[in-house]
Amino acid sequence: MASSTTGSLRRYLVTRLLLVIPMVFILLTIVFILMRVAPGDPIQASVGAHLSPAQLAVREHQAGFDKPLLVQYFNYLGQVFTGNFGTAITDHQPVTQVITRNGGATLELTLAAMLVAVLVGIPLGLLAGRMRDTWIDVSSRLFGIVIYAAPVFFLGLLAQELFGRKLGWLPTSSQASVLTQLDIKPHTHLLILDAVIDGKWGALPDLLKHLVLPAAVLGLTISGVVIRLVRVNVIQTLRGDYIEAARARGIGERGVVVRHALRNALVPIVTITGLQAALLMSGAVLTEQTFNWPGIGNRLVFYLEARDYTAVQGIVTAFTLAVVVISLLIDVINAWIDPRVRY
Amino acid sequence: MRKVGLGAVGVAMVIGAAACGSSSSGGAASPGGGSTNPKATVVLGTTDTIVSADPAGSYDLPSWTLQYNVYQTLLQVPPGTSDIAASAANCDFKGKTTYVCNLVPGQAFSNGDPVTADDVVFSFNRVIAINSPNGPASLFAPMKSVTASGNTVTFTLKAPDATWPDVLTTAAASIVDQKVFPAKKLLADDKVVGSGPYQLSSYTPNQLAEFTPNPHYGGSAKLNNSKFVVKYEQDASTLVSDAQSGQVDIAYRTLSPTQLSALESSNGLSLAKGAGIEIRYLVFNQKLQPGDTAAQKLAIRKAAAQVIDRASIASSAYRDTVTPLYSIIPQGLNGATEALKTEYGAAPDVTKAKAALEAAGVTTPVPLTLWYNVNHYNDADLATELMRQLNASGLFKVKLQTAEWATYDKAALTDTYGAFLFGWFPDYPDADDYTGPFFPCKTAFLNDHYCNPKVDQLISAEQASTSESERNQIFAQMQTLLAQDVPLIPIWQGGQVAAVRDGVTGVEDTLDPAYDFRFWLVGKS
Repeated sequence: MASSTTGSLRRYLVTRLLLVIPMVFILLTIVFILMRVAPGDPIQASVGAHLSPAQLAVREHQAGFDKPLLVQYFNYLGQVFTGNFGTAITDHQPVTQVITRNGGATLELTLAAMLVAVLVGIPLGLLAGRMRDTWIDVSSRLFGIVIYAAPVFFLGLLAQELFGRKLGWLPTSSQASVLTQLDIKPHTHLLILDAVIDGKWGALPDLLKHLVLPAAVLGLTISGVVIRLVRVNVIQTLRGDYIEAARARGIGERGVVVRHALRNALVPIVTITGLQAALLMSGAVLTEQTFNWPGIGNRLVFYLEARDYTAVQGIVTAFTLAVVVISLLIDVINAWIDPRVRY
Repeated sequence: MRKVGLGAVGVAMVIGAAACGSSSSGGAASPGGGSTNPKATVVLGTTDTIVSADPAGSYDLPSWTLQYNVYQTLLQVPPGTSDIAASAANCDFKGKTTYVCNLVPGQAFSNGDPVTADDVVFSFNRVIAINSPNGPASLFAPMKSVTASGNTVTFTLKAPDATWPDVLTTAAASIVDQKVFPAKKLLADDKVVGSGPYQLSSYTPNQLAEFTPNPHYGGSAKLNNSKFVVKYEQDASTLVSDAQSGQVDIAYRTLSPTQLSALESSNGLSLAKGAGIEIRYLVFNQKLQPGDTAAQKLAIRKAAAQVIDRASIASSAYRDTVTPLYSIIPQGLNGATEALKTEYGAAPDVTKAKAALEAAGVTTPVPLTLWYNVNHYNDADLATELMRQLNASGLFKVKLQTAEWATYDKAALTDTYGAFLFGWFPDYPDADDYTGPFFPCKTAFLNDHYCNPKVDQLISAEQASTSESERNQIFAQMQTLLAQDVPLIPIWQGGQVAAVRDGVTGVEDTLDPAYDFRFWLVGKS
């Protein structure tokens, strides 16, 4: 029985891993085609304004953009599979460095946002589920819907206006003030972690102040999903026989909800929250733009405007791989927890 | 041919602060009566984007701004002038196609290596050898060869070229250390070494650049600060916010007139203004523009030139941060005239425009699709005002179309738009930079199908002449011809403006048509 289950899980994992290959391949192809279909090209956008057509042609030849599309495509795939994303055309930055450096800032933001989402979403969802159809439930649901529906940039602008400009409590842009940033040596590119590594404790207040608004805005947006998920799962769990049994055993209502209902409800919540990674990344692009956060999404927008094929392809590939890996992990955890999940 | 970076939208700005302080270190006098603190750190915010810190890899103002402060060039444009003076060398023509430079002794790179004539030769050959897609190799097209002998560098030109000394003032001609820079490829930004007044101490691309004094600097610049930091902002609204909150001492490029007004009214900030020679103009593609015959097309261009009210554009669309432009060569440069004012008058004249159209048999209103761009030039207000003026004349029926820069740039220069707005930012402050790239029949970058052999001849003549008076006469003739042919209609000349925090000195000293932001002139009282 046990070996049969293990075999089934192994087969599932192998199948799931094999599916990643066409998924990544299709995504890479779509990115390549979309970039070529979009009007304009990187050389023209970068230096074309004042060069004669002949000079432009020379430069496009040097960059290899006059080669047949298939040749460019296979060159691109070759680069991706060797882990070499090339060098950005617009600013000569190695794309791997861009991903590492700016990805660190994005990771810092998304982790903090996820923390906010969990800290806000779980208690509110729990309360709403426990106090179903009361004003607390209605308010929480309403909050969840409104906050999820509100565009991140709109929330960001409101937060900047209120907490930055009107009240003057928090900075509205950047990852740190200029002098703080100069003082921190980048190791992981998560500035807070870098400051801790170097023991620059004095920098932490500044770094945290800069993180509060973007993390809160992005985290609150995601919390809308968490609230609804927790609420639904807590309601379902509270209907379970074992909850009745717990109550019958004289366990207090608080203990029933927190120790029994929430714990069981958390399994699907964790799974689905993990799947929010893609949403979090797309939200991070907008949040980074709003708060001038030097993350990978911010750079992606810049390179897209410049039609920088190399950089965009590299960054989107990194995004793709991140989402695919997270999805894969979630699926694996899911399959591990729930034996019904099999191919 | 220098371009402003993608982030460079809106009017050009020169910073002019309240300071006329001397450049002496160690407590130079400031105009406010205080003295500059030589240990001050100055933070400048900008929406600029660096393409490369390596001179071989960039041909844009933001990168050149960095390079002007890290590297030396053989020649320079001293602050407040458009003259050419010695920097790392004394140079002069020895014959029509031979230009000789003798290095000033005692120059050294920030790593301690001495600057040699071989370094200079290496630097020029390297730019050409690398020929980066974003690089300035095309600026060296007039050069046939460069050789070193002892302390002397000799440039041999393909043909007489009076603008060669101007080229040597640009960051393209920065001297690099041949022991550090590879000959055939670009060097990483954080590894660059120069012999300029500063060294690039740390650099986080698109975020921060930190400049500290070059300990081996042997030039004449005296530093008014001990550290200069540039913060690269994502957009102008962030720049405004940072200037207001004191995160940056100077907000330099690129801010809209509305944002400048907001900063001017903010506590602790004032606007610094200076002369600029960025221009904006309306181009007619003579193959695609309205009109059945060449005569009709000319009449249509002349009518447009006749009814455009530049003063109204400057005040309504730009809050007078720009000035009306009546020639392709902006005022302030040697040889500039106001030929279009002479030809068409300063004020619009609809009657004359109508007569010109009628004489050519053009049916009015002339349908005209005017293309403009907002994410590079921020020309929405200009285009709207132009449409209003042209339509108000009753002679045109203008329709506006816009495209983002990546599309716009290519389409405009490849026979797609009949009429479009374009801008120009100088490589160096010389009138040739406003004619040579634009009007030669075979090499004009605008690809607008304008060709006047007489203008061609005049361009060749001014490039071959080293006599200022002779060149001025030639430019005057050329501008008259161009006013008559109106291949393009000059609209405005941009001044430079920036917001400067109280106590920051020396900014206005560097705001001149050379567009060389000299960090060392800026201090804090």
